[in-house]
Amino acid sequence: MKKLISFVFRLVKRIIKIGVLLFVVTFGIYMSNAENKLIYDVVRPLLNKHYDNQARDRRI
Amino acid sequence: MKEKIISFIDQKLQRFDPIWLAENGKGGQRTRYRDDGSGIARYREWRGVEDTFQDYTAWLKNLGYMGAMVARDPVKVLKGIWEYRWMGSFLASFAFVDRIYEGYRGRELDIANIHGNAIVRILTLRIGLILHNDARLGGGEMTDKMIGLDETIPPLFTAGFPTLNAEPMQTMPEFVVCDVDQHLDPYYIDVAESYGLAPDVCSRCSAETGVAIDDAFPVFGKLVLSTNQPCNASEATSMFQRRRFHQKGIEDYPFVFAMQHNTKNGNDYSKEELRQAIQKIEEVYDVKYDWNALFEKAKNMNHQNQIELEKWEIFATPFSPLSGINESLYKLVEWALVNGHDEYFNEIDDKVIGIMRQAVKDQYLPYKGKTRHRAFLWGPSAMYYTDFPTWAQNCWGIDIVLNMDSTMGHNMINTEDPEQALTDLAKFSEKGVMRHHAVGGWDNVNAVWEWANRLNCDMVICNDNVACKGMNGVHALLEEQAQQLGFKFVFLPHDLEDCRTIPRKEIRKAINDYMSIVLNEEPLDATLVDFDDAEAW
Repeated sequence: MKKLISFVFRLVKRIIKIGVLLFVVTFGIYMSNAENKLIYDVVRPLLNKHYDNQARDRRI
Repeated sequence: MKEKIISFIDQKLQRFDPIWLAENGKGGQRTRYRDDGSGIARYREWRGVEDTFQDYTAWLKNLGYMGAMVARDPVKVLKGIWEYRWMGSFLASFAFVDRIYEGYRGRELDIANIHGNAIVRILTLRIGLILHNDARLGGGEMTDKMIGLDETIPPLFTAGFPTLNAEPMQTMPEFVVCDVDQHLDPYYIDVAESYGLAPDVCSRCSAETGVAIDDAFPVFGKLVLSTNQPCNASEATSMFQRRRFHQKGIEDYPFVFAMQHNTKNGNDYSKEELRQAIQKIEEVYDVKYDWNALFEKAKNMNHQNQIELEKWEIFATPFSPLSGINESLYKLVEWALVNGHDEYFNEIDDKVIGIMRQAVKDQYLPYKGKTRHRAFLWGPSAMYYTDFPTWAQNCWGIDIVLNMDSTMGHNMINTEDPEQALTDLAKFSEKGVMRHHAVGGWDNVNAVWEWANRLNCDMVICNDNVACKGMNGVHALLEEQAQQLGFKFVFLPHDLEDCRTIPRKEIRKAINDYMSIVLNEEPLDATLVDFDDAEAW
């Protein structure tokens, strides 16, 4: 019984720890606008380069 | 205790709140943006503890919807991003949501995030479905059971084909994505013009044509219903698009609505067209129209419209926390894309009308009571400047109470008698996006004053699509009427989907000039008056 209580206690502690960590990371990304900066400065320029080099069939 | 802690933190962090900065002459909304015209904020808006946390959870929810879309079929989604330029533009969605709800607090923000989540949910579901079944990307189990609809055809009537799935063709590649990224459609417009198309046509039609020429439509279904909606410029683009659809082995059927949609003859004509379109789908897909299936979804649409009529009553008061782009974008998606097909949107409507009823009961003044003018926004708006109403409220205290397109088809559909349902559906379908008040005769256009009076507006802002030949003729007439009726009146020039002709900065200048020179007013937030966002999404 003691073992079970200690296991549950450890599990809850771990879940709280993971929850807090997830909150800190996601809230950090949210407040620093990190995803938009990454998409604007890195992802889209790379994608645009790819789109500009595409050969598209324009015969209609 | 909780309130005390929140109030303590709010006080400590208020110097990051753009509204507090503007009120105290220390900055404003643009203070947190980079100076490179990119429209990228260095950090997100601090709205106080409760509102920031609320916005953060809405952001997480949107992230979840996008993650779920990718998780359902990661290969097709990645292939889609690689294949279609417009898919790359959808990556700007997070910045888009931030932009349109900037400065929102309290109940305005509550409703905005409920709506924002619903919009992201339905768009990710539909994009996922389209990519999963796109024959170009390998196809799926629904590829042959999908019907392509011109995006301006209201899809409610297709509910009578419960085993099929109707998807608007242009919404994802050209229309709604222009809201998200202003730089996408100029690419497609250039493709159309480099092909020899005249550059002075409606930019929506030009962009759609560009998508067709660039072979950038997803490929699904056996049939596409093209249309003359909303106006005759659409007939030309439909003719270009059908060539591409035929190349892909997809048949094209023109579903033509009466242009004079206030007359009985016009309505009878549209009803027959609707009947024939249903017959055509039955023929091509070898299925029978199921009226009971239609009635089920029509009940959803009627529920939506009943709530809409109640919303209009609340819009007439100063207590509505729903206005501006929060109102019109949701309405556009709910009406033109969902159109009764998804019960989830009825739940959203019930939730939102509850907040609005409570706001009236509490005599709640939205936007911290800073509204100075109540404006009706008439004419089709610039797709590349979706956050214009948000800017107008934050900068000058102009609350866009309602947008013309939000008055779309609101007649109830009979849910028992097929013949009457067809009559109602025809009437409903004729009064679609950019159509109800933009075409079909002078009375429709001139209804602006009735609407402005009904909603207790003191101002009318009339969108002036410079490439719209139909509306060019009414300039002087509207100006004269505004003067006679005593409305504050501004023409807002734009080029619908081409941000190069009249950039956002120029659109703002029209309002800035009117507010400062004609009305002699001071801005609520001086950082918003003149700024560069030419390179912003």
